[in-house]
Amino acid sequence: MSTTPKVVGLVCDWAVGTAEIADAAGRLRAHPSVTIIRVPCSGFIRPAWLEDTLKAGADGVFVVGCPYGDCLNREGNYLMRERVDQLQRRLARRKIPAERLGMIAYGLHDVDAFLADVAAFLKRLEALGPPAPPGRPARPARAASQPVQTEEGA
Amino acid sequence: MYRRALTSLLRATLRLDVAINRVYPTDLNPLYYTGGLANLFLFVLVVSGIFIFFYYVPSLAGAHESIRYLTEQVPYGGLIRGIHRYAADAFIIAALLHLFRNWFTDRYLFSRDSPWISGMFLLFFGGVVGVTGYILVWDVRGLTILGIFNDLLTSIPLMGQFLADLLTGGHGLSEGTLPRILLLHVGPASLLYFLLWWHYVRLRHPKVWPPATWVMVCLGLVTLASALLPAVSSTPAEPGVRPAAIPLDVFFLLPFWLAGYVPALAVVLLVAALIAVGYVIPYIARETPQEMGPRHAGVAQVIDGNCTGCELCYYDCPYNAIVMVASPYPGLSRAAASRKLLAVVLDSRCVECGICIGACPFEALELPGMLESEITQRAAAAVQA
Repeated sequence: MSTTPKVVGLVCDWAVGTAEIADAAGRLRAHPSVTIIRVPCSGFIRPAWLEDTLKAGADGVFVVGCPYGDCLNREGNYLMRERVDQLQRRLARRKIPAERLGMIAYGLHDVDAFLADVAAFLKRLEALGPPAPPGRPARPARAASQPVQTEEGA
Repeated sequence: MYRRALTSLLRATLRLDVAINRVYPTDLNPLYYTGGLANLFLFVLVVSGIFIFFYYVPSLAGAHESIRYLTEQVPYGGLIRGIHRYAADAFIIAALLHLFRNWFTDRYLFSRDSPWISGMFLLFFGGVVGVTGYILVWDVRGLTILGIFNDLLTSIPLMGQFLADLLTGGHGLSEGTLPRILLLHVGPASLLYFLLWWHYVRLRHPKVWPPATWVMVCLGLVTLASALLPAVSSTPAEPGVRPAAIPLDVFFLLPFWLAGYVPALAVVLLVAALIAVGYVIPYIARETPQEMGPRHAGVAQVIDGNCTGCELCYYDCPYNAIVMVASPYPGLSRAAASRKLLAVVLDSRCVECGICIGACPFEALELPGMLESEITQRAAAAVQA
């Protein structure tokens, strides 16, 4: 494992503007191992995607929403924070450190604070060491087109 | 240029929010509750207004005297009158903050135009209520304002005289005038609550009330203002006497004050133009789909076969855009086979935010412009790289 943790960040399009700090493929210039995917709202993110990304071998995943108290879509960041909390508890049960999942909340203008938070997140991931190799849970890998989520029973 | 200004105002608003959040806990940031604050002041106005209504006599000879009696003889009457007076200003301040905040943070576009339009009606009728409230006191100022109101209406071509007669109840003042003004005060005030229903109908959990701390602070502030600067009448109204000056109340009386300097028709046209601009704001200078990028992902679509009717999207949709209907046929997946309900997205309310997708654990919702497979593939590619 390289010393730079591989991280995927899902960023609300109303939150931190990443046009100046990321390249066309979504890699942060300051931390090339971090890939940004922009989504319409942090509430759009389905927790299963975060879990799958971690299981596929990512060192960490984070979600970026608007500052709490305010969401340009009224409630997206609060809903997402609850979902992230739930997922962190579920991850802990699966013996995946909950610190691998982060929730960051900064507004459109707060690029510097956002980058500082990402750097701190990477530092925590480095302290955790490399993740377990993908596919370790004794379950068959899920088919890409599987229609129904069978785990956890919602 | 308008769009660039709005973008910098958005950034300024967010900066201000973050600055206030450093002082207050996030949950108490007053700028997050401007609508709730306006509603709080409206409630204060209604309660104090009902109290005043019991004492008010809408007649030319008795109106001023009844207000004097209320202020001087009734226990706490002067205080409640002052609260009514200052809560009205606070209501307009909160409503204007609410308007500008939602304007600058782009919360009025596309499917969200309905709250904006109802908000414009609320603001207009709020203004009418304020002006008629000034007239009802029936002191020299009230009479002056009524005179200017009359002039403004008369200046409207063709129907001006008719409207002016409607306002005063026939040519000039009569015993019918003050009951009409009272109706024009209480009627639009009641109408505000109907408009509020329209204002809220597309919101799932509208923040209609500020936190208890702010309720206490606001009640305290209007009470304090009323005690320190009691609302007073000037001399009783005497028809024929028109003083030169009216109070410069920037929240209600600005057009009336302006009428002292420019022709009445110009004031009417200016007010009409402002109102018209207010109504078209949601429909001008919209972003193109290319500029919107991920925010323009299309109306959410229900994957019928996977929907289990669990109602999670229905609870989470912030815009009441998802309704549950009785399922006409069973779903295809195992979990959906015995469903009783089916989620349906109302296109006209959907703002394409995708919050329902995050809420759905059964992969039964998709944004056409940003499919789940696209996100998972990009995430997987990033991990593999």
